[in-house]
Amino acid sequence: MILRALVRAVLLLVGVSVMVFAATEALPGDAAEARTAGRATAAQLAEMRAATGLDAAVWRRYLEWAAGLLRGDAGVSLISGRPVADVIGQRLPATAALAGAALLVTVPLMLAWAWPAGAGSPAGRLVAAVVTATAAVPQVVVAAALTAVFAGMLAWFPPISLLPADGRPPGLSVLALPTLSLALPAAAYGAMLLRGLVADIVARPYVRDARRRGLPGWRIAAVYVGPFLVAPALRVLAVVAGGLIAATAVVEVMFGYAGLGELLVGAVANRDVPVVQAGAMLAAVAVVLGMLAADLVTVRTDPRRAMT
Amino acid sequence: MTRDGGLEVSGLRVTGRGGRTVGILPDLHAAPGEVVALTGPSGAGKTVWLAAVLDALEPPLRRCAGTVRWQGEIIAPGDAARRWRRRHTGILVQDAAQSLHPLLTAVASVAETGVDTSRAATTLEQVGIDASLHARRVHQLSGGQAQRVALARALAARPPLLILDEPTSALDSAAAQLVAAAVRARRGDPRVVTLLVSHDRDFVATVADHVVVFGTAPSASPPVPSRRPAAGATVLRVHHLRLDRPGGQTPLLQAVDLTVDAGECVAVLGPSGSGKTTLLRSLAGLHPVTAGHAELAGTRLPWPVRHRPSALLQAVQYVGQHPADTLNPAHRIATAVGRPLRTFRTTDRAGRLATVNALLTRVGLDPAVAGRRPGGLSGGQRQRVALARALAAQPRLLLADEITAALDPASTTTVLDLLGEMRHDGLAVLIATHDPAVADRADRVLTIHDHALHH
Amino acid sequence: MSIVTGGRLGFVTFAGTVLGLALFGSLLAPHDPTAPLGAPWSPSGGGNLLGTDALGRDVLSRVLAGGRHLTLTAGAAALVAAAIGIAGGLLAGWHDGPLSRLLHTAADLLLAAPLLLIALVFAVTLPGAVAVIAATVCGGAPLTLRIVGDAVRQVRHAGFVDAALGRGESGPRILGREILPAVAALAGSEIGARFVVALQLAAALSLFGLGPAPPAPDWSAMIRENVSGAALSPAALIAPAIALAVLSLTVAVVGNAAARHARRPL
Repeated sequence: MILRALVRAVLLLVGVSVMVFAATEALPGDAAEARTAGRATAAQLAEMRAATGLDAAVWRRYLEWAAGLLRGDAGVSLISGRPVADVIGQRLPATAALAGAALLVTVPLMLAWAWPAGAGSPAGRLVAAVVTATAAVPQVVVAAALTAVFAGMLAWFPPISLLPADGRPPGLSVLALPTLSLALPAAAYGAMLLRGLVADIVARPYVRDARRRGLPGWRIAAVYVGPFLVAPALRVLAVVAGGLIAATAVVEVMFGYAGLGELLVGAVANRDVPVVQAGAMLAAVAVVLGMLAADLVTVRTDPRRAMT
Repeated sequence: MTRDGGLEVSGLRVTGRGGRTVGILPDLHAAPGEVVALTGPSGAGKTVWLAAVLDALEPPLRRCAGTVRWQGEIIAPGDAARRWRRRHTGILVQDAAQSLHPLLTAVASVAETGVDTSRAATTLEQVGIDASLHARRVHQLSGGQAQRVALARALAARPPLLILDEPTSALDSAAAQLVAAAVRARRGDPRVVTLLVSHDRDFVATVADHVVVFGTAPSASPPVPSRRPAAGATVLRVHHLRLDRPGGQTPLLQAVDLTVDAGECVAVLGPSGSGKTTLLRSLAGLHPVTAGHAELAGTRLPWPVRHRPSALLQAVQYVGQHPADTLNPAHRIATAVGRPLRTFRTTDRAGRLATVNALLTRVGLDPAVAGRRPGGLSGGQRQRVALARALAAQPRLLLADEITAALDPASTTTVLDLLGEMRHDGLAVLIATHDPAVADRADRVLTIHDHALHH
Repeated sequence: MSIVTGGRLGFVTFAGTVLGLALFGSLLAPHDPTAPLGAPWSPSGGGNLLGTDALGRDVLSRVLAGGRHLTLTAGAAALVAAAIGIAGGLLAGWHDGPLSRLLHTAADLLLAAPLLLIALVFAVTLPGAVAVIAATVCGGAPLTLRIVGDAVRQVRHAGFVDAALGRGESGPRILGREILPAVAALAGSEIGARFVVALQLAAALSLFGLGPAPPAPDWSAMIRENVSGAALSPAALIAPAIALAVLSLTVAVVGNAAARHARRPL
């Protein structure tokens, strides 16, 4: 079971790397054209391709790229000419701080919303409506609303989250709006997924029968609902974490926060392919590791898994 | 009104969606030691009544009036009622197999009521679950076994109030005897009261002290053995048919030989899981056969169904056992009944509508239902629509698979009378059932045991 | 009964108006949405009902004109992804086999894949709108396929399907005439769900500057343009956000209503 989860994670990463490479390289317009922006002659382009190995077969270039990634060598940025690993390494701490802070807010919020929303009382239905709405609107809307309230009307935080120039860790006032903008939609999305699970389990015939037989609420929650909720809740958390990591791009661009997501978006606009590839792979590794962790915990907590 | 203990229910009123009152809920007084049976057609509110008495209604249903007294004390709705249910009642619901916790073993399920393991094991054996099954979980038990485990759970703590909703629905007659014995054992014990909902008339007659009838009284015409019409030509001849389970090694049924004549009704009787449904479905072409062959009025039946010519498709009609999915929820009744008319009988729209109305009338439905969708019909009504749909093809052979299993006695009688009537027009009927009372109305009864059909 | 119908009619009218404004609102714009009219971030008044934006353009006109690209992109993505998913789901549910199991696993994995990342990777080589459609199809079609496939599998052995088989009807005919109507509400709710997600992607890509080129108005880009003026002119920031929220919530509510309808017991 554990082995299967590991194998699946590795296969998944290989698949993702193929897709990332194919989507960024195999389509018309290669790095040589991007770098010269149409000002080079055909001969110059050919020379450049030969020099950078772009004329090799696609699968060879893929293998070289993948091997480089494994060695920690992600190539050189087409725009700045600096090694991609350095460019990314410089931005990583800011994004890690942001994503970490957002996850700390997300997890308790998600659980706090999911339980009443799944139970179906009048208050629960209100929570469910708020959760569904928050998860449905685009993230920029949540960010804009938070900014209008906390930066515009209340003026508690700056509307733009500039990082300290000397590399000190960002303070609370800088992190507050980006963190909330990330955490609220993520928690809402997670609560929505969990709410469905809670409602499904609560409506199962054996749970309804337990209520009918007059078992106390705590016993129903602990014996009849809880055991069936642990594994899916972990998987939901992994999904939410993956979405949250990707969503850092939106929040960083919105608030001018100089993190990895902002770097990635700039690289996409400039067709800086090596940076995009490395950034996407880094995010994919984070997502796959999250899923793997959820799988492993599931195996440990539920030895009867084969049953369900 | 007497105040001598037992269970007293008066003035119950339950509202559903939009505040509409549900059913007519009778008052009831069950004296200590009594076994009271609740009967009535399906949909008359027996299950709702039970849930209302227990204060276990699920939204949107709500109890808005009425009192429940137990041993003279009023049981207030809410937490008091929950504690009363926990301490004083044993409850067996319909679809009992689904009411068992999937991760608990049979014996742990029973012990959850607060009894010790040995008492749980004794109770299980009392309802015919022997020790080899005690450590199994619900998915490792058959439907009938699971129902008996749930019954044991209801009985184990010797609850002062025992409530059984259709306790014998999934059981063969031997198991039903055990249940009857368990209920009879409580009779006359002044500390206990037993309430019972059942469609099974024999069972009610043997165990109940008195009967409370819900809704309109069923037209209690006892099943009359219908005269067999003049013998006709052989419609169906089955020769050495063998049926396998998908992926299974042992045959489900082998060497099946049977004939059905025009105007004849033949019943196939057997416990659930014995292969009745598969036999009927394979004759309809919906399940493959691995050996043997069958003829319809001298013509070999091809397999699978898509190889059958239109005339053979029309001549053999199959009606399944589940009223819930027998009709497409998206189609109106007129569409459902009219479809075979379009496929097999080229009539114009007006003619079709007239035929649909005639068919609906013939199966005892108001033609006004033609414009409705199945969602607005009861199980019995849907089953009659399914019969009308089958009749619309003007078949020579009707394969009726447990078509009365989900129906109350009144609807069952109507449907069986209808079948009897159609046989006078030469229709051959092959009916699968687990209910000996249904089989009694057939001209011949074939039984399935040990993977073979016995004449 | 009449109240329920009336409410439903009112909501349908409302949803139609929202979609109409998002697509054709520019026809009602009082000013040229791209022309500077006054000082940046001036408050409302003086012919600018919602004030002006970072470059002194009329916010109301830009809000009325700024939904078209997002709505068209998300609509196209939703229709393509749902159509592929529904067609695939009908086939996968009808023919149970290794392919259907494979698709099930793929859908499981894609649920965890951050679509925004997929869209960004596509956006390296494709225009923003196409990247949104491609990512929605990659990430959404398998989900629709699984949901529709499960629903089809549930009704595949229903009595009404047996009856159709017994009438000698062919597989495609049964899928089209018996099974598709039975799962139609579910298909509708899937289109709504895909639209909501595609709109989120389109809004993100517009925010990244991968949407319509400036100075063309776009709700998402407007939010970014006006975020630093939040204290001076909240309306310039809030108005496009409200427009975006109303559009996505309206579609989400329609989709949820269809999903509730689909979950009704038979």
